Amino acid sequence: MVQIAIKSNYLRRSNSALFLKQWGNYSALKPTASSIRFVMLLFFMILFHFSSHAQSDLEAKEIIRKAEEKTRGSSSFSEMKMTIVRPTWTREVGIKSWSKGDEYSLILITSPARDKGAAFLKRDREIWNWQPTIDRVIKMPPSMMMQSWMGSDFTNDDLVKESSILEDYTHQVLEKETIDGRLSYKIELIPHEDAPVVWGKIWIWIDVKDFIQLKTAFYDEDDYLVNTMLGKNIKMMGGKLLPSRLEVIPADEEGHQTVIEYKILAFDKKMEDNFFSVQNMKRVR
Amino acid sequence: MLPKLSILPFILLLLPSFLLSQNEEEKNWALTGYLKNLQTWLFFNDFPQDAFLQDNLIHNRLNFTYYASEQWTIRADLRTRAFFGDLVRAQPNYADLIDNVNNDYFDLSVVLLDRPSWVVHSILDRLYLEYAKGDWELRIGRQRVNWGISTIWNPNDVFNAFAFTDFDYEERPGSDALRVRYFLDYASSFEIAVKAADRIDETVIAALWKFNKGNYDFQILTGLVQNEWVIGGGWAGNIKSAGFKGEWSYFVPLEERGKNSFALTVGLDYVFENGIYGNIGYLYNSNGSTNANIVGLFDFELSAKNLYPYRHALVLQASYPITPLLNGGAAVIYSPVDVHPLFINPTITYSIANNWDIDMVGQIVMNDQQDGYKSPLQAIFLRLKWSF
Repeated sequence: MVQIAIKSNYLRRSNSALFLKQWGNYSALKPTASSIRFVMLLFFMILFHFSSHAQSDLEAKEIIRKAEEKTRGSSSFSEMKMTIVRPTWTREVGIKSWSKGDEYSLILITSPARDKGAAFLKRDREIWNWQPTIDRVIKMPPSMMMQSWMGSDFTNDDLVKESSILEDYTHQVLEKETIDGRLSYKIELIPHEDAPVVWGKIWIWIDVKDFIQLKTAFYDEDDYLVNTMLGKNIKMMGGKLLPSRLEVIPADEEGHQTVIEYKILAFDKKMEDNFFSVQNMKRVR
Repeated sequence: MLPKLSILPFILLLLPSFLLSQNEEEKNWALTGYLKNLQTWLFFNDFPQDAFLQDNLIHNRLNFTYYASEQWTIRADLRTRAFFGDLVRAQPNYADLIDNVNNDYFDLSVVLLDRPSWVVHSILDRLYLEYAKGDWELRIGRQRVNWGISTIWNPNDVFNAFAFTDFDYEERPGSDALRVRYFLDYASSFEIAVKAADRIDETVIAALWKFNKGNYDFQILTGLVQNEWVIGGGWAGNIKSAGFKGEWSYFVPLEERGKNSFALTVGLDYVFENGIYGNIGYLYNSNGSTNANIVGLFDFELSAKNLYPYRHALVLQASYPITPLLNGGAAVIYSPVDVHPLFINPTITYSIANNWDIDMVGQIVMNDQQDGYKSPLQAIFLRLKWSF
């Protein structure tokens, strides 16, 4: 009987409370850990696509500036689906995101079911995570920002610092090439010697007529191709002609791919600063 | 009769597609949830005898939200569990034990089935009405009032008794309460919450002020928790790029006989570039024992002022995405007291498909016995989860 009492105590208490309080926290971290990898890329995507930059008078730089301008707005809203493709499996994440300038962004996970409703708020260097299942806001350590995403497709280190595609590189138009039937400038970007970037070289193909970034190839310092990003399914979104599908393809990993499909993209909608608040993170849907 | 019967499966078949076909923008309600199967194996070594027990739990959760208007929201979550196995058979009043864990003001639970080897139990652990307008938010009904700010232990979480039965209860029980919040800015708020009770010594009434300063979130709380005054606080910020969080509470009984309680926890967490998440933490609990034996680990009342049975506890936790689908991790809790209790909690989680997860969890208890440092108890849990 004693044994049974202890056992049932074990189940009643230990199986619940005790370590399990701890486990509860641990499992509470799980959706965080799995979502965060997506989210870090997203912050990057938002920075990469909706950032504003200073002007330049050089031709190549001017072309890039125009392409950047196309994806830039004082604010943005997007609804997208990200698909991670690997040789033996695929996973999808649905996301809504809002951003204002480079400082504020808010991301809501809309799928899969396990993570639905989780939200992330970024204000300058601070990140908060809303976990609806436990009714709690968790402050994220800044090192989350540095985390690599899905192995090595991207490291966030350069992504976070990525403000510099205009300032940290010298730009040169190499030639004109046709990408998906569109005549494009092929521009080479070489980083300045002391620039805080990880790439040794970047080639960017930009549509001659509409200044759409159609293709980007990222090379490491030994001049090996690391990633290729393709902009496809070009259509009018948010009043601009833009690729609605982005594919990121790592060079030496066969069958690996990350696809982002924009369902909605809108620019320059009026957003108050306090839209990007802990309070609103719980309410957006 | 016949047409009715034949139409039912048809409706059931159509229901999911109806739910799925609803346009996200248009619909003013949401239904989510999961279905889990938890298999438990318990090994007792000389504790007091050798024994092996198997237990099973099928667990369904339905989260229903109705957005009545821009301001008004209704939330109702139903949690249903079916227990069967050695534990149910060994405990004649198992259903009562399960049901009595919920010491809520309103009885929103029911034992659906009570057989010698089967128990089915259902509870509405969330049922509230929310009004939100501008900077104000008001919530009344059964809700989770989660005031914790640190990672592992939460001395500020004064609204929850933690007497729950399932270890995989991430949502935690709700409190029958009224909660009013006013948001001061993007990360600052002031709130008051009151837990329903018949007597003043059973209620919890407390206020919490949250604010953000110098990239740190801070909070301060005070109130009355079951006949004790509490004052507490916490923070979440960073040292360089590591997260730095802590929380403390001090309890003073209103009656002269009682003794004061103090709980303090601090922790650091960090994500390394290779994806390893690490977390280190410490808990001081003035109510904790320094000379209790290992049974103390299974026989204590968990609350905000008694979060672990021993005076000191150190936790080390790490997890690593072995592949994007497979995550491995472990937590270890050690207390520097007489019996040197050690709790080891390895976990493996695997994403089988978009909405399917499988978790394997181990719990190993070690302590210093007369015949050496041994493990009196090991538990293994295997959990399959389908989310929808």
